[in-house]
Amino acid sequence: MPADRSPGMDHPHYPYSPLPSRNALKWPNGKPLAVGALVLLEHYEWDPPQDAYSLRNASGGLIKLPAPDYVQLTHREYGHRVGIFRLLDTLERYEMPVTVAVDALTALHYPWLMKHLGERSCEIVGHGVSASRLITSKMDPGVEAGVITNALDTLEQVTGVRPIGWFSPEGVESAQTPELLAAAGIQYVCDWPNDEQPYTMTTPNGNLTSLPLFLEIDDEFALWNRRASLDSWENMIVSAAHRLHSDGRRSARHMMFTLRPWLTGQPFRIRTFDRALGQVMNLEGVWPISGSELVAAFNNADS
Amino acid sequence: MSLPPHRVDYLPMVDRPNISWPNGARVALWVAPNVEHYEYLPPRDPRRNPWPRSPHPDVQGYSHRDYGNRVGFWRMLEVLDQHNVRCTASTNLAVFEHYPDVGKSMADRGWEIMSHGIYNTRYLSSMSEQDEREFYQDCIDTLHQHTGQRLRGMLGPAVSNNLHTPDLMAEAGLTYHADWLHDDQPVPIRVNDGCLVSVPYSIELNDVPVFLHHHDTSDFVEMVKAQFDTLYEEGAASGRVMALALHPYLMGMPHRIDGLDEMLDYVLGHELVWQATASEIADHFIEHHYEDFVDHAVSLQAANDAR
Repeated sequence: MPADRSPGMDHPHYPYSPLPSRNALKWPNGKPLAVGALVLLEHYEWDPPQDAYSLRNASGGLIKLPAPDYVQLTHREYGHRVGIFRLLDTLERYEMPVTVAVDALTALHYPWLMKHLGERSCEIVGHGVSASRLITSKMDPGVEAGVITNALDTLEQVTGVRPIGWFSPEGVESAQTPELLAAAGIQYVCDWPNDEQPYTMTTPNGNLTSLPLFLEIDDEFALWNRRASLDSWENMIVSAAHRLHSDGRRSARHMMFTLRPWLTGQPFRIRTFDRALGQVMNLEGVWPISGSELVAAFNNADS
Repeated sequence: MSLPPHRVDYLPMVDRPNISWPNGARVALWVAPNVEHYEYLPPRDPRRNPWPRSPHPDVQGYSHRDYGNRVGFWRMLEVLDQHNVRCTASTNLAVFEHYPDVGKSMADRGWEIMSHGIYNTRYLSSMSEQDEREFYQDCIDTLHQHTGQRLRGMLGPAVSNNLHTPDLMAEAGLTYHADWLHDDQPVPIRVNDGCLVSVPYSIELNDVPVFLHHHDTSDFVEMVKAQFDTLYEEGAASGRVMALALHPYLMGMPHRIDGLDEMLDYVLGHELVWQATASEIADHFIEHHYEDFVDHAVSLQAANDAR
């Protein structure tokens, strides 16, 4: 089948929109840069279902070992037991409202942790069932819709609040995910790291706001996949923030960290993140913000 | 309801009974050189190829590691001696038979010998239960024969293991398992019979993953210092464990050895550090804190059930 080379995207989810041609985006009080943090609580299963799909090179551990890979599984579990608290304490010190993506198995099996997130007023966003059961195009759309609903129902039962945000496990979607998320009542999705401002996605089931994460400073992308040194990560974060802060005076920007407690929450890494975040938050007029606040500000600015 | 593998209760770090180490120490530091032998022509394992680079033998990979026993170990030993470190050597026990000089040097210094299996090329992941029982007896006997030491714990050979491993370790009379990387403190591991605890090892503060990628010695030194600083701060409230995992074939290289000196200098220059062996950490935990941890897990579970 020949490719359709007509102008615009090769999918229906959103139109092409070059940033300089957009109307200038303004955050409240003329702030140039909104900064947020999406913390991931992903459960990695010892015994996933036979038909589950997970990344072939999932992060954590040493090398690919025969299942059950204690090294990888316990490395990641470190986040739920220890790392999460370092991360939350650090973010809280800079008065950052925290957004946490929680998968259904974490919500069900870590009730103490869920209560703790509630006490710290974290915003919870949907994150599928587990990091061992990705949503992919191998999944029947009916099954996928069920997985999304199940994840949201579980979070609502556990926390009393139905999430309005979503980040797919490992950032993996099928071609139907945006419309299924819209049908499930999701208002914003973090799966598309392609912009410095939120933008609107259209689906047959209504609109979604896309809230792009900043992939290059994502801890897993930088520190695990690319094995950047900690100094290099710190430099990336700080220089990006300076540039976004200055570009944001013409049209406001956001910068969304993606943080894994098992990775950035390790004793030696947390200090680097603390230092980097301190420099970012020191910039004048930086606006610490949760996912839903950012989306609301975008949608209000748009109208 | 717990999740598989049903061996460890969820205990959040911020809501636990406090751990107090001897003499008010904040951090229990154990130093674990991995003294290994990788076989030239290992038996074929159905699930894991020790030498994936080429058909066997892989003389380059073999020699890289063999360097550790010929050269690197001896260079590391000088630095460890200068700092009076009592190591917990994660040892492929056949080292005592192939390289008695290495074995004797460790035993003479009073290092604790932790089992790292017999060879680093024979894995628990594909072993039958009966073979694994015999394996523990072999480890216990080999260590005792060469050093008189009683075997106390294990880091699985090449960190291999299986779902039965903790039960079989406890059955063989071992006290600690180092394959659990989920915590900065020891925690109870549920077993069929007896008592087993984890003593946290590290695959982060470990020269293999650090140097496998493009990091330099100075990166490793900074990681170790930063890790220590965080644990030392937190350890003021409740004791922490820090493991430093080393391999003579890597850290004993001429371009890296000064880094070992620098990290030991830094960490051991702090007053409230307990430079212990893994079994000392395990024994102290079992004697003073094990029951508290178990009771606390039960009360957390009861609170969850009541919700």
